Amino acid sequence: MTAKGKDVLHVGIDLGTSRSSISASSGERHVVDSYVGWPVDMVARKVVKKPILFGREALENRPMLDLHRPLERGLIKEGSEKDEAAVRELLKHLITMAGGGEGKKVQAVIGVPAEAMRVSRQHLRTAVKGVADALMIVSEPFAVAYGLDALLHTMIIDIGAGTTDFCVMNGRYPTDDDQRTLTHAGDSVDDQLMLLVRTRHPEARFTVHMVREWKERKSFVGEPPQPVVVTIPVKGKPTEIDITAEMKKACESLVGPLAETMLDLLSRVDPEYQERVRNNVILAGGGSQIPGLAAALERALGEVGGGRVRAVDDPVFVGSNGGLAVALDAPEGDWEMLPG
Amino acid sequence: MEDLRKLKREMVRQAVRENVELLEGRPPSALRRARPLRRLAGAAALVVVPLAVFASVNAIGHAPSAGPEVVVVPVRPGATPEPSLESVPWPRPRTIDPTVFRLSVGTVVIDPGHGGSDPGARTEDGLSEKSVTLDVALRLKALLEGASYRVVLTRDADRQVPLRERARVARESGGDLFVSIHVNSIPRPDGGGVETYYLGPTDDPAVRELAGSENLGSGYSLADFRSLLESVYVDVRQSESRRLAGAVQERLVSALRPVEPALADRGVKSAPFVVLIASEMPAVLAEVSSISNGEEARRLAEPAHRQRIAEALAKGLTDFAERVGRSGRG
Repeated sequence: MTAKGKDVLHVGIDLGTSRSSISASSGERHVVDSYVGWPVDMVARKVVKKPILFGREALENRPMLDLHRPLERGLIKEGSEKDEAAVRELLKHLITMAGGGEGKKVQAVIGVPAEAMRVSRQHLRTAVKGVADALMIVSEPFAVAYGLDALLHTMIIDIGAGTTDFCVMNGRYPTDDDQRTLTHAGDSVDDQLMLLVRTRHPEARFTVHMVREWKERKSFVGEPPQPVVVTIPVKGKPTEIDITAEMKKACESLVGPLAETMLDLLSRVDPEYQERVRNNVILAGGGSQIPGLAAALERALGEVGGGRVRAVDDPVFVGSNGGLAVALDAPEGDWEMLPG
Repeated sequence: MEDLRKLKREMVRQAVRENVELLEGRPPSALRRARPLRRLAGAAALVVVPLAVFASVNAIGHAPSAGPEVVVVPVRPGATPEPSLESVPWPRPRTIDPTVFRLSVGTVVIDPGHGGSDPGARTEDGLSEKSVTLDVALRLKALLEGASYRVVLTRDADRQVPLRERARVARESGGDLFVSIHVNSIPRPDGGGVETYYLGPTDDPAVRELAGSENLGSGYSLADFRSLLESVYVDVRQSESRRLAGAVQERLVSALRPVEPALADRGVKSAPFVVLIASEMPAVLAEVSSISNGEEARRLAEPAHRQRIAEALAKGLTDFAERVGRSGRG
């Protein structure tokens, strides 16, 4: 039973380039890597024993699949029907995991990068048509702010895989002027790291998936907490390589662009409230957990009077929890105007 | 607490309204840009963002900046002698939305793909990509000049021009837009259609292969290419290029579908083509047909069809130019 009736399941979904999460009014929470794969032929279909695979399972079986990571920099890849289908399947999968599809009416709030809101709202809305009985799309940083009750004099910096979204919450629903999207995000760190390691060790063999895993386990900004040593096949032989310098350089590539955008947005805030916003900068998304990043951004704020930057405690679900909060707060009459 | 509840109610109401507007096909009011006065103020704020902003960024570890430049351009590719850690430049920020300025389009750079000893894709009966692209480019030049644009061609004859040289011509000519014309070759019996690329990464193996093939003989070293790749992620032009690609693709499909009802709309895609990375202006690469498709190859041999393609490209370019503030010079 939900707060609004036993037959309705409210869900908040964070549709991310790298991972997508769902929080449901039933209490269910799930996260899945944003990969969708279809078996390439009947033989593959027999081997994987499923018509469609998601997340880690899809990634692990990728040689047998037509694998799609359907979002690119937070946007559904334009012109690709297969990627649109992958987004729909991913959303349906999340909703099923959360208990939808059992005769319940599903009312969903989907958080997407601010850039997606700005550039291809109609495209996105069409692509996700039919995944729920009623559907609302909001910008991801707004969902984060809503879930944290951080709606006034706050700046949200949501560092995802494809994009970093900035949003100043000043007591009104955010407009374009309150938001920014940068493509300096998790994927760009992966690409930098890959480039740097490949430059230093051209003989080493590794994939972007390995690089992503190194980053998720060993990223840092500033002084390294410990040397970053990884094992990479070199001429077929597993070899330990110290990539501390490369990791530092790749992770710190985020700092300059993030600091500049943060200060630029801050300079547009009503001067009366700038100090309050400076002291309420919240980092969300997977990138928020990079050790030393919040401190580096605080140092940048030092140039304009100082401030406080903190990372959310639950980066995986903070966006979907916010979406769920919006879903639960929307009056039933409003949902009737938003057919899925 | 009551204030917070009221605030949340109001924001949910606005979120719902924005979604309803979207369903009704209206531009959502909450996401429209602010009033003109405010936009002007925004542009002014961009100009006067204080040195302190840059100083703060530099304090964290950036290379020194020459000053408070407003429009940040990608790092220009240069020779990087050693593949050392330090040789990989810092990515530069991309925070400026060029649409706040009334940009004008005066010069269009047209790049006919391939040429000389590089024929590009070919049919068995001798039709080559290099001749189709040059013919379409010359027709497009005439159309744009007729609309009072200044036009620069990266090649105007059957000669080989390295991609590096093409990019240099584009930069030094003061071009505002860059369009590279190509003809696809899709190794499937039913493969065909039109597609338009803008600069960006891709994880589509087929697109990677295409970009690899088009990047061959670019004239760039591996070290250069590393610097070029850096700019993929910092490129202030990307959103402009994506819009330009959308305008071109839309016109190509709408112009060619009436004569080729089965024509596949392969869409707007991103890919790391060297010539797009290095040209330093909003840039697209249009694959205007597929020479490997029998029906499309037959039409490409017809001058009238090539004229149709040139007209579609011209309309796409002018659509975009008008959208950013100007429809022609003179």
